[in-house]
Amino acid sequence: MSVPHLSIQDLHVAVEDKEIVKGLSLDIKGGEIHAVMGPNGTGKSTFSSALMGHPAYTVTSGSATLDGQDLLQMSVDERARAGLFLAMQYPAEVSGVSNANFLRTALNSLRGEGNEVPVIKFHRDLQAKMKELNIDSVFADRYLNEGFSGGEKKRNEILQMAMLEPRIAILDEIDSGLDIDALKVVSDAVNQLRRPETGFLIITHYQRLLQYIEPDFVHVMMQGRIVMSGDKKLAEHLEANGYDGLKAELGIVDETVGAEA
Amino acid sequence: MAEQSIATASPLVKALVARNREPQWLQSFREDAWQAYEKFPSPKLEKTDLRNRTWDVTALSSEAVGKPRTEVAQFLEAAKDEPFLCLRDGAVVAVHVPADLAEQGVILTDLNTAVQQHEELVRKHLGTVVAAEADKWSALNGALWENGIFVYVPRNVQVQRPIQFVYEESPAGKGGRPRCLVVAEEGSRLAFAEISFVPEEGATGGIHSAVTEIVAQPLAHVDACALTNFRKGPTNFVTRRAKILNDARVDWVVGDIGDGFTVGLVESLLEGSASQSHTRVLGFGYGRQRLELTASMEHRGRSSESDIVMHGVVRGRANSVYRSSTHIQRGAADAASEQHDRMLLLNEKTRADAIPMLLIDENNVRRCGHAASVGKIDEVQVYYLMSRGISKKQATKMIVWSYLAPTVDAIVVPAFREFVAARINKELEQ
Repeated sequence: MSVPHLSIQDLHVAVEDKEIVKGLSLDIKGGEIHAVMGPNGTGKSTFSSALMGHPAYTVTSGSATLDGQDLLQMSVDERARAGLFLAMQYPAEVSGVSNANFLRTALNSLRGEGNEVPVIKFHRDLQAKMKELNIDSVFADRYLNEGFSGGEKKRNEILQMAMLEPRIAILDEIDSGLDIDALKVVSDAVNQLRRPETGFLIITHYQRLLQYIEPDFVHVMMQGRIVMSGDKKLAEHLEANGYDGLKAELGIVDETVGAEA
Repeated sequence: MAEQSIATASPLVKALVARNREPQWLQSFREDAWQAYEKFPSPKLEKTDLRNRTWDVTALSSEAVGKPRTEVAQFLEAAKDEPFLCLRDGAVVAVHVPADLAEQGVILTDLNTAVQQHEELVRKHLGTVVAAEADKWSALNGALWENGIFVYVPRNVQVQRPIQFVYEESPAGKGGRPRCLVVAEEGSRLAFAEISFVPEEGATGGIHSAVTEIVAQPLAHVDACALTNFRKGPTNFVTRRAKILNDARVDWVVGDIGDGFTVGLVESLLEGSASQSHTRVLGFGYGRQRLELTASMEHRGRSSESDIVMHGVVRGRANSVYRSSTHIQRGAADAASEQHDRMLLLNEKTRADAIPMLLIDENNVRRCGHAASVGKIDEVQVYYLMSRGISKKQATKMIVWSYLAPTVDAIVVPAFREFVAARINKELEQ
């Protein structure tokens, strides 16, 4: 298959008629790791949720394609089947649906009818991946995210990513609520998937995660758009000077959406 | 007095008594019930007005056995080595009592035969749990029940395999009127599961009236399962009640999948101290279903314990009312009860009510609570499942199943369980 290519041009996203993302452009190719950084309230999560097709968000203009296909014309499941994956900050809990059943149904949906994964192979793979991610094997039979701690939910999102092997993976604040050990485990999982067949977009508030996952590109988001891009040195620069330093450089007083420069 | 009762007796009662050569006490039982039936006005329930429903009771069903429908034939095949009885209208299609049960004194037979062969037992218990004078439809069944099942488990006998009752109302059935009588003697154990079928499209104006009575003597434990598939046309009345004595326990699994006009009650009378009952109700309504289903717990015994879990799924233009009622009577000190009702609406035009009721006349209650909700499927859950590639239809299916699975899993007969699962899947495909 060709190298994955996610292309976003001048994307605008609204929530209940309030524009949150205001002209975001980004290109991600397989093998690349992009980090989108920025303070809270600058539209990072809105952008990723809208890209996945969350019902609460409306794309008002702009385009988003994956491998040339128009993502915005697709239903949520079609986007997933096209190869898009979003590790969510607050994944839903679904009581009564076991983790394993959910993952097997998802995997088979991606593989398509007639190409279902054999049950035994699935469970073997699942157990192996759970072990790598330091997830207790009993989680396979637990109901989807129900009663999981914040860190367990995050690891479960990464487990799904590892099982589903997406073409483009977006990790939305996967580091929030993780202790340093869990952070290493999650980072290892991402680094293992680092290959030409997968492109990554890592949304984070902190530079900490990027010590474990070395990004090729770093973008800073403020006021609903990318205000600066660079390589990993930009993250280090931010670490040293903070967002306030960057704001001063750019002449931004209030970085949150709704405030204008 | 005798003359008067004969004067008002229904010709149908007379015909039934003559057809089955029933004893005098049963004739009186039926005649008294008929009088009560005639006396009761058509009821107006809180949510369901029955005054415009007809109460046509004009004929008895045929005595011919006839050919069972496909599903019934499949159950018969699956059950051939199990304890079971199959009735079509009032006629026995097949009955099987495994030798080991017969040796232990377990009685499993149709109710007509039981009246002839086990008259004292039937006489002792018939109508003691569902009194014919209680309401109009119980009275109707009391007067005109046309066969049914009688199950009797002697003291301390443990029946390992579920006793199955398959009932079919044929198109010539004129509205079925089966009656189940289950008696579990002290310390006995059994599972009793019934499934009933009605014609795909019954005659409008007809009445289906079913009654199940369960007597659980001290320390007895009964798992009772009752599944129906009521269809549009007639009015369906179902009264299922268990009387539970000291330290005894009756658990119910009750389910209906259909588009019928149905008034149903499943009730446990927790008479004895430390008696227990756990009820699970599952409903899937579609088309123009009208359902008013009540799950009720009457606590009379000290330290009695109950819970009710009701899950209803509705689509199309179904209008369904699920009521859970716990009544802790004065004297039922230290009683405990919980209710959980959850209704899922699959589309806009459908309607469901979840009505929890707690009536507490006793000051000393250990716990008593309820939770009820009615709503559409959480779209954030659907989004989450879809974000992993699962189609909307499949995601919806998974979420609906997440509610219904524990109740379906509690159906004791595998063939019944598989049938219900297949029906649910079929309705979710629509």
